[in-house]
Amino acid sequence: MVRLSIFAALLASVTATAQAADAPAEIKLGTLYASAGRYASISLPVHYGLKLWIDQQNAEGGVYVKAFDKKIPLKLIAYDDQSNTATAATLYNQLITQDKVDILISDSGSVLTSVAVPIARDHKMFLFDQTGTGATFFTPDNPYIALMADPVSSIWPKPLADFLTHDGPGLGIKRVAILYATNDFTGTQAAAVRKFIKESNSGVEIVYDQGVPTETSNYTVLLNNIRASNPDAVVHLGYAANDIAFLRNVQDSGIKFKFLFCIYPGTENELLEKNLGNGPLNYVFTYVTSSQMSYQTNFGMPLKEFREAWDKKYGDAKVEFGFNSVAGYTTALVLEKTLATATSLDQLELRKAVFAQSGNLKTLDGTFELDPTGAQIGESTPLGQLVLDGDHLKLVTIWPHELANGKPIYPRP
Amino acid sequence: MPRFVRHLLITLVPVVVVFAILPSVYSNHLLLFNFIICMTLAQGLNVIYGFTGYLPFGYVGFFGAGAYGFSLTVMHLQAPPLAALAVAAAAAVVLALILTPLFRLSGAYFSIANLAAALALLQVVSNPNLEEITKGPYGISLSVFDPTLSYAAALAILAATIALVIYLRNSHFGMALKAIREDPISAGMAGINVVRERIIAWLLSALIAGLAGGVFAWYVSVFYPETVFSVEFTIFAIVFVLFGGSATVTGPILGAVILYGIYNAVGISTPQYFQLIYGALIMGLVMFLPNGIVSLLQRWGIDVP
Amino acid sequence: MLVYSLLAGLLFGLYFALIGLGLNLVFGVMRIVNLAHGDFLMLGAFLAFWLFTLFALNPVVTVAIAFVGFMIVGLPLYYLLVPRLLRAKDPEMLSFILFFGLSQVIEAVTTIAFGITERSIPGDQLGRALAAAASVFAGHPVEPGPVELFGQTFPAAWVASSIASGGAVLLVYLYLYQTRLGYLTRAVMDNRDEAIATGIDVHRVSAIAFGIGIGRAAVAGVFAPFILGSITPAMGAEVTITAFAVIVIGSLGNPLGTVLGGIIYGVSYMLMQSYYSSWANLLPYVLLVAILLVRPSGLLGRRVRNA
Repeated sequence: MVRLSIFAALLASVTATAQAADAPAEIKLGTLYASAGRYASISLPVHYGLKLWIDQQNAEGGVYVKAFDKKIPLKLIAYDDQSNTATAATLYNQLITQDKVDILISDSGSVLTSVAVPIARDHKMFLFDQTGTGATFFTPDNPYIALMADPVSSIWPKPLADFLTHDGPGLGIKRVAILYATNDFTGTQAAAVRKFIKESNSGVEIVYDQGVPTETSNYTVLLNNIRASNPDAVVHLGYAANDIAFLRNVQDSGIKFKFLFCIYPGTENELLEKNLGNGPLNYVFTYVTSSQMSYQTNFGMPLKEFREAWDKKYGDAKVEFGFNSVAGYTTALVLEKTLATATSLDQLELRKAVFAQSGNLKTLDGTFELDPTGAQIGESTPLGQLVLDGDHLKLVTIWPHELANGKPIYPRP
Repeated sequence: MPRFVRHLLITLVPVVVVFAILPSVYSNHLLLFNFIICMTLAQGLNVIYGFTGYLPFGYVGFFGAGAYGFSLTVMHLQAPPLAALAVAAAAAVVLALILTPLFRLSGAYFSIANLAAALALLQVVSNPNLEEITKGPYGISLSVFDPTLSYAAALAILAATIALVIYLRNSHFGMALKAIREDPISAGMAGINVVRERIIAWLLSALIAGLAGGVFAWYVSVFYPETVFSVEFTIFAIVFVLFGGSATVTGPILGAVILYGIYNAVGISTPQYFQLIYGALIMGLVMFLPNGIVSLLQRWGIDVP
Repeated sequence: MLVYSLLAGLLFGLYFALIGLGLNLVFGVMRIVNLAHGDFLMLGAFLAFWLFTLFALNPVVTVAIAFVGFMIVGLPLYYLLVPRLLRAKDPEMLSFILFFGLSQVIEAVTTIAFGITERSIPGDQLGRALAAAASVFAGHPVEPGPVELFGQTFPAAWVASSIASGGAVLLVYLYLYQTRLGYLTRAVMDNRDEAIATGIDVHRVSAIAFGIGIGRAAVAGVFAPFILGSITPAMGAEVTITAFAVIVIGSLGNPLGTVLGGIIYGVSYMLMQSYYSSWANLLPYVLLVAILLVRPSGLLGRRVRNA
């Protein structure tokens, strides 16, 4: 009996040492960020969110890796692509072939992710796509990708379109104007809005539909044209700089649209408030992103705690807290769960572990849910409206009704 | 041994051999590929700037035209890559032909007009109304992906380009071009057909950039319009040529290898400082060493190819 | 819609005329292509931003500070860079590249110092100043806000900057035709070698012209946050190209030509935005190439640049 248990103990310690001997000294995470250029304002917050988690984990000895049944420290290898896709491609390649990272994480946004998709696929590395929502990334013949923190852009605007087509007619919304910047992100959102409105057969018609270059910074004449088409609702889909210029031009021209929607007042509301003040943002409809909404979580820090951790660590840095900070942290949480589930560090094993979280993982970003091609169909962002309450702006959730905590103010006074 | 054979052995052979062997020892092939593209573009710019004195600040326009020529042929005609490369070259040459009236302008006017033309082409290509043809601002994603073959093609293009510059350096045609650069009127009086020679150099320069663009599209297979029309390519080409020394064979090669190497070593970690360094480097070069490093060597009496 | 586009184009174009005036002066006098012009404009914009953020200084006041400040900076900068350049074999091309390097340096330093996030100044600042001025002229208080012209409303900032442009053109004329220094400047613009032969201190004249040129760029920069939207360190490059289009269309050396060029550019841009909005950004480049090929001396010029 005793001999058996000693034998068992010996066997256990031998296998444990053998496993421990196989375990790497550190888990290498490879990623890119943009410190300058067009996408810096959406890239740095994501990067910082990821880094917050890494530092937290390393302070506790590392992340738990089931494959070796122990905590292993994380090493972050991150390069700056300066919003340049050619540089990004070289750097992704460098991460895979030179630095030989264990985990590949993309930069933020569809443009900087797009070059990673074929590279990851070619080298058979699973790509943790943070916020690249371009629908073309997710195809049945590519298993090496999954979208972490944003709904895929072909379904992201559904709450907006649903509100316009279900509640809209009742409020008197029949004519919709769409102005969008022509790039992968907002272009596909515009296409999705168009599609949902046309398929809804609700009587809502699109009276103005124009795409402008993403570099556009002057909307004065465009605004006049939109006004001439007499819309009941105006939807503007652009990046943060476009939203800032657009909203400022609206205010400067003295135009008051009955319903105005922009993406970034919700996604990067601190950046926009800093640049615009409260006036132009009052009564604007936008997405209620996870940085504005406290979801029930079953894993990781909820919003309030994350915000406190962020402020403590990055309070004086030049990076704004917004949805993108949450996105980086969400990627990290999926990563943590993946490493705690996967039986090895083989890339397809990692994929299995990632997909195993689908439907089960509830983070501060919402419910993580993937479709078979890796596109995120959970984590949807409700429609909300910014209303001035005293001297600060409150975000009231309007749609879907189950989550709503207020009624829309339409038309704006 | 004839001078040009010597030049061939000193410059062309080592470069080609080194870049043919490197992929087997250094696995970031994309970086090596980028080096090849940089050297090719620098030599292409050398042909027009070094030998005729015109500086096309929109040189990347030919690169982009080549990339899109290649992509459109592959996407719409399902052509094999090598045929598409020929189309890429043709596209760049056609663009250059269209722009030949710009030669009526001098110096800075030519450069700016050329830049405007390249930017105009970018706007046309990335316009969403042309999405059916060029995929507009949403970028191109090609199905032909063959890193080995496209790398070999790039290396072949580089070899041909260097050979061309060696020829220019050692031939009457090259001398004629340099004469035109120094003093077009006297050159004309000496019997040189100024307009024709200049246009030939211009077309050759565009051809090089077009081929480089085509093979770039082949290698990376996913790109946005801004990527292949990025003014960065022109800047790099200009700086490499200036730094190394124009109208020589080794100048642009040296410039590309040293500066692009520094860019990848330093720039990756601190890109803002890198822009500062490059800018300061340009200013310093123009003020103190406008003829590049090679001129230093020449001052010491070494005959550099 | 058409009337609005035309009027908006007029106002917008006057702003670009303001930008072009500085560039025009520098090129006309020194034959040097200042590729860093847009970056000086960007610096002026940031100056306005910081003075407003830190000291709540109204941008109108910053205009004066910017002009004087940058003029003072321009003088030593000229002496540092240009005389050496003029001794080289191909000064025009090399100056092109040199100032390009300068533009990269300025952009890099600004990015390192200020970061890349977009900054802006609330639009009502200029509106208030304009209203205050209007109150003085009208004799009764005027409300700050959008301005009405011919039945269409425009942002106050546009009207304010058009007034500033008009003022700038006037000042240029006064300088060139009423002051002794301006007289010398015109001589240098006409024929540099003869001017040297007559004993004019060409370097001094050029340095002052350079200083005024970039002082102007900075002044235009103060208005930039209102006309162009938010400002970032990288905004300089595109502004420079458009400014070139404007002065080339108008013709070198003639301030009225720059105004004309600006208006043509502004009106066509706004018309494009109304009717063919996705092609609007193509316009300045096509205009530039077309003018250079068809009428290189510009619409108002007599001087021809030929190879």
